[in-house]
Amino acid sequence: MSETATRAERGFGSRLPAWLRPREVELHGTGRVRLIETTLLLLAGLLLAIATVNDVVLQTHVNHRLVADMRTWRSYTGHNFHNISPEQDIFGHTTRDFVCGNTEPGPPKDRVQICLVVTGPVVHGRREVHGGWYLPPKVEDVLSNRYACYGSAREQGLCP
Amino acid sequence: MAAGAGAGPVAPQPLPTAYILVQGDPVHNVPPGGQVQPWGPGWPLRRGIREIVIIAGTRVADREYQGCEIPLTHNVNFPYLHGPLAIAHDPVYHYVGQDWKHVATAYGPLYTLLSYPLAPLGLKGALWGMKLEALLASVGTLALTWRCACARGLDPVPALLAVGANPLYILYGLGGAHNDLIMMLLMMAAVSLTFAGRDAPAAAAVVAGALVKATVAALLPFMILSRRRLAPILGALAALAVGALAGYAAFGIHGIDVVAALNRDAAFVSTDSFATEIAHLFGKPGVFPIDHDLLKGALVLIVLHLLWRTWRGYDWIAASGWTLLAISVTSTWLLAWYILWPLPLAVVTRDRRLLAATLAVQALFIVHQTAPIFAPVP
Repeated sequence: MSETATRAERGFGSRLPAWLRPREVELHGTGRVRLIETTLLLLAGLLLAIATVNDVVLQTHVNHRLVADMRTWRSYTGHNFHNISPEQDIFGHTTRDFVCGNTEPGPPKDRVQICLVVTGPVVHGRREVHGGWYLPPKVEDVLSNRYACYGSAREQGLCP
Repeated sequence: MAAGAGAGPVAPQPLPTAYILVQGDPVHNVPPGGQVQPWGPGWPLRRGIREIVIIAGTRVADREYQGCEIPLTHNVNFPYLHGPLAIAHDPVYHYVGQDWKHVATAYGPLYTLLSYPLAPLGLKGALWGMKLEALLASVGTLALTWRCACARGLDPVPALLAVGANPLYILYGLGGAHNDLIMMLLMMAAVSLTFAGRDAPAAAAVVAGALVKATVAALLPFMILSRRRLAPILGALAALAVGALAGYAAFGIHGIDVVAALNRDAAFVSTDSFATEIAHLFGKPGVFPIDHDLLKGALVLIVLHLLWRTWRGYDWIAASGWTLLAISVTSTWLLAWYILWPLPLAVVTRDRRLLAATLAVQALFIVHQTAPIFAPVP
């Protein structure tokens, strides 16, 4: 008798029914458990692969939109600034974005900022501006800081 | 860092060399008016590399923060009660990631203790000290992986290459100087010790690893179930007693309350997690509390199945590897270095499915990082 079987027989496992008894090595069964496991693993892998590709496609569309937003801001304001902050509508899950940047050269958010409400499809690398507001220097874009709202921003109550 | 800490306002410090090399100096190289600079055709790739360096840099800074506080305060609970914001005047604070400024450390007490001797080296010295720590841990992990593969009768060269030449291991694990490498070193030390029949020190190594990063504790039930001896239980208990005592002496009760840190971090959500990707696939904006419960339920079922398989003779190392992989895949807070955990175990088991699954998950993670490459030039 092997050392393995001897240990199992001596231990508390010996009092358990055969199907519950601990083993040192697996028995070579029909391979059914392994087949089920492998099938489940492949299905899980397929789900993860589809979800990953779907997310890459979604993210690529969002990136295209945000780049168009930044181009739109530069074209609309006439300022060729690099530090512009596009914000997605993460609560409404729409394609309406808010894009803020300085009105004059300076470190990010260090000057009076102009924010634009940008919507619609990307046409020739740009989107449409429907309104906007201003922000004082060195503040975040939250409702209470916005002033001089115009266009759709005023109509939709995006300013205090 | 410790030098100059608590001495009032601090003069601007030079940036770490690695940061300047890739990112440019954010203070002195800003173009006038923040105007657009010409972007070359390879900018998405450069941006990707830059992001890796920034992430790595901020995470190293988060850990450097742990070593900063002794001169500031004699409150031993400090890193486990307060985020880096509490040392906002320290030079390291500028490099702490925005997400972590208010968050107390989640690192195990042993790892926090390891960071303290680096504090007197200053900002740059501590940064490179942590990288050296990670490098040494990596060398140790690779040596033990080689040894374990040989002990199992497997070819050690492919095993070594699968771990050591893995891009996620090099770029994120080693580049980011993560404590996961030290955890993996102790994990592989435990596996190596069980091969030598030294069950008590093996279990103690797992506990020591858990005091660096709690995740590795997942190995312990499989080891105990597989060995079915008293030695690993006694070894684990003895190590736990010593570790808890040292952790308590150094950091008080909060330093050894790893469960609280785990519970807090389990609630985080990252955009790279598979849970978030699946939520997006089904049209949901993200992960909701119910999803956390479902994922935890799935993880419990997987672990129970693996425990049962181990009881019936399945390789405990493979079962541990599957568990670590399941933890990372079901986590809503997934970072690149989390999917490294099962890798050294996967290369020393005979169940090749584990290695295939681990590499597939890593490949999907890398694919998910490619989205910026498809973005147009701004």
